Amino acid sequence: MAMLESLRDLVGPAVFDHAVSPLIKIAVLIFVGILPLISYLVLAERKILGFMQVRLGPNRVGPWGLLQPVADIAKLLVKQDIIPSTAIRWAFIVAPCLVVAPAFVIFSVIPFGPAASQTGGSLDYFVTDVNVALLFVVAMATVGVYGIILGGWASNSKFSLLGGLRAAAQMVSYEIPQGFSLVIPLLMAGTMSLQGIVQAQFEQQRWFIFQGWGLGLVAFFIYFVAGVAETNRNPFDLPEAESELVAGFHTEYTGMRFALFFLGEYANMIVISAVAVTLFLGGWHQPFPNAGWAGFLDLQWIPVLTPPLGLVGILWFSTKLAAFLFVYIWFRGTFPRYRFDQLMELGWKWLIPLVLLTIFGTGVWKILQ
Amino acid sequence: MSAATSAVRSFFDRVMLLDLFAGLGITFKHLFKKKETVQYPEERREPAHRFRGMFRLDEDRCIKCTLCARDCPIDIIYIDWHQELNPVTEKKEKVLDRFDIDVQRCMFCGLCEEACPTEPKSIWLTSKTYELASYDRWENLYVDIDELQDWKIRPAYTDREVR
Amino acid sequence: MAAPDTVGTRDSLFEVEEMELAFGPQHPSTHGVLRLDLKVDGERIVGCYPIIGYLHRGTEKLFELHPFFQNVPHTDRMDYVAAATNNLAYVGAVEKLTGLTVPPRAAYIRTILCELQRISSHLLWLATHAIDIGAMTPFFYTFREREEVLDLFEEYCGARLTLNCMRPGGLPFDLPVGWTDRCGAFVDKFPAKVDEYEGLLTHNRIWKKRTVGIGVMSKEQALQYGVTGPMLRASGVGFDLRKATPYEAYGEVDFDVPVFHGGDTYDRYLVRMEEMRQSTRIVRQCLDKLPDGPVMAKKPRVLKAAKDTEAYYAIEGPKGEIGFYIVGNGTPNPQRCRVRPPSFYNLQIVPELTQDRLLSDLVAIVGTTDIVLGEVDR
Repeated sequence: MAMLESLRDLVGPAVFDHAVSPLIKIAVLIFVGILPLISYLVLAERKILGFMQVRLGPNRVGPWGLLQPVADIAKLLVKQDIIPSTAIRWAFIVAPCLVVAPAFVIFSVIPFGPAASQTGGSLDYFVTDVNVALLFVVAMATVGVYGIILGGWASNSKFSLLGGLRAAAQMVSYEIPQGFSLVIPLLMAGTMSLQGIVQAQFEQQRWFIFQGWGLGLVAFFIYFVAGVAETNRNPFDLPEAESELVAGFHTEYTGMRFALFFLGEYANMIVISAVAVTLFLGGWHQPFPNAGWAGFLDLQWIPVLTPPLGLVGILWFSTKLAAFLFVYIWFRGTFPRYRFDQLMELGWKWLIPLVLLTIFGTGVWKILQ
Repeated sequence: MSAATSAVRSFFDRVMLLDLFAGLGITFKHLFKKKETVQYPEERREPAHRFRGMFRLDEDRCIKCTLCARDCPIDIIYIDWHQELNPVTEKKEKVLDRFDIDVQRCMFCGLCEEACPTEPKSIWLTSKTYELASYDRWENLYVDIDELQDWKIRPAYTDREVR
Repeated sequence: MAAPDTVGTRDSLFEVEEMELAFGPQHPSTHGVLRLDLKVDGERIVGCYPIIGYLHRGTEKLFELHPFFQNVPHTDRMDYVAAATNNLAYVGAVEKLTGLTVPPRAAYIRTILCELQRISSHLLWLATHAIDIGAMTPFFYTFREREEVLDLFEEYCGARLTLNCMRPGGLPFDLPVGWTDRCGAFVDKFPAKVDEYEGLLTHNRIWKKRTVGIGVMSKEQALQYGVTGPMLRASGVGFDLRKATPYEAYGEVDFDVPVFHGGDTYDRYLVRMEEMRQSTRIVRQCLDKLPDGPVMAKKPRVLKAAKDTEAYYAIEGPKGEIGFYIVGNGTPNPQRCRVRPPSFYNLQIVPELTQDRLLSDLVAIVGTTDIVLGEVDR
């Protein structure tokens, strides 16, 4: 912290706040936060799935398989990179990047911890607080779809093409209920800034999942289902349904290009979960922040190292995030896969009317407040 | 169950997704169950007593009748013998020139062992040998009489008693 | 330009072109080396042509070259997930041809082996079927129990898959000491495990959506195509060779033949689940009634069939009627041997069931037919 303070003095507060600080945060976020998080999420998924399936999961590389992600990355990096001769070269190369980049960009608006003004420090525990953050999230999430469609099409393989088409229809359909379900916490909070929504939950003394006659719960449910579909996860993993389409849109991808798709999928999982935590589960706040008896949850009582408030926020955020990601993995270990038309039916016939009703209900609730 | 309660139940089933939670419960329960994995190179599963593994031959017991070779469905046992005067007993005896088994084609049906008329059997499939992978099939999977009697290439596995 | 062929009810506003899709032989869910040449319109299947023969090994011809007892290992390799029933169908045909009578103990042990084989075959089917439909966890649960069945086989005959566990006239060896207890312990706990698989699938709404009403096969269709086994019994025909022509010890044990009338993938699933439970019942009764005595009939040293005799012997395998037709010619070898593999007949109906269905349904339907390509191609 002291180093940052001196750097701030060196370059001047204006430059620091608007250029240096975000850059440092982005670098830290990507290289210390997201990339290890994703690679260990993959490990966790394999472990948890293994445990659910009465086996051990990876446990050979390092103690309990903890170095498995390193081995995976090394393997993927040195693998031969094949571009099929009939593939459309530029699109084939661009597609994986189009999946990864937007997923990473969304991380910039997610409040992992409190703002500097709340902790009294000089560091915001997020990259930036956009006042239309919710729109930004929705917009960026949409861009990721192009990468998958492009990848499926550019591979020039029939299975990839089918996977790409499925992805296009599925992701476009489920963006509607997902986008709409975001409206409900927005109505409840009255702001689009993610930081503001977290604060609103603190002030209303209730997570939005429990707010408004259970409407928050419905919205949360819709958001989560649509989120699972958006990230192509089981039971909605149709674009890459391995028993039907071999590997769907990434059938022809190898090595690091395949890894980028993989990275994109897991980054999206984290993004969806992080947004859900922020909007519905109180963000970085500890549970029951206003209740006296639950005060110990602020962790300030740990005698040796009294953690700064920001770190406590990040800790609570990560805990909620981890619970979410576990549910994703849990779903994968339990459910069969929907058929394509059934998926569409679920989206258009059930989720969209339901979410519209919920928005209406929330409006009524808001008026009666 | 009356129609009304079953209707209520099915409504709850539909809305509360009870069917899905039942499945989730089963997988969650298994999260804490004992794992079935056998950590192969370190732990080895002991094959059953009758396991049909690799061949062994006892030349002293063998009466060179070649029944095993004849009963082999894919003819992979090659036996040559000649007669020789035993200097001690002064009787003519059959002596093996060659007893080769082309294990690379073997399907481990055990018919050779069943065909063997000696008691105990002269050729038998030893148990506890399932690691037959090799880099060179002609080097390692074409076994001759010496190798059939004592194992040079493969580690000595526990033998099973001869029926 | 001539009007393009239109598909279904669409008008010719867009030029509709069908895509040809080679589904297999190297595809995760064709259960081996089946190849389906598909014509698809989007995801809708408008044409499906199974192409078989990738695993053809000339087994029927091979039978003619060997004496009767040497052919038993070859039958293992046809339906390689259900070797015991193949063995039994073959040795049963040879016994019928040569007039051998099997001692009662051997008949009971054969029944036990066949029912264990049915359990293991159905478990493998359930595992792959579930994974085809996207549920990956049942695979591991079923394989956990399948391992135990295979352990029982290994203890009995020394092999886990290619059992070679029967001979014309009886069995090669008696049961090892303690085998009946271990087998009994397994069949006693197994029904609870079936409940566990069912807990994951039977009432799951996604599983139901993927299977109920998919690949509906009417009674008439099933009979026309010569479909047998669980496929037939799910279409409302209660035909089971174990009841129709009781062989071995089946006449002396009490069991039910599950029959469902929907004819869809879900009913076929239910039939097989119930069959596994019934199999444990049969094994339990056989173990309790197991008589003493020899396990091999008195038979000539070289078994020969009289000239110009023929025999067809069929049993109820896990997949349906598995039958062997053998012609004798006075030598120890058969003159001709013809196999009636259930998978081959059951596969024939796949194109009709998949017509106008989606690609995902194709996977479910191929899975539900429970084919083994080693048997289809022989």
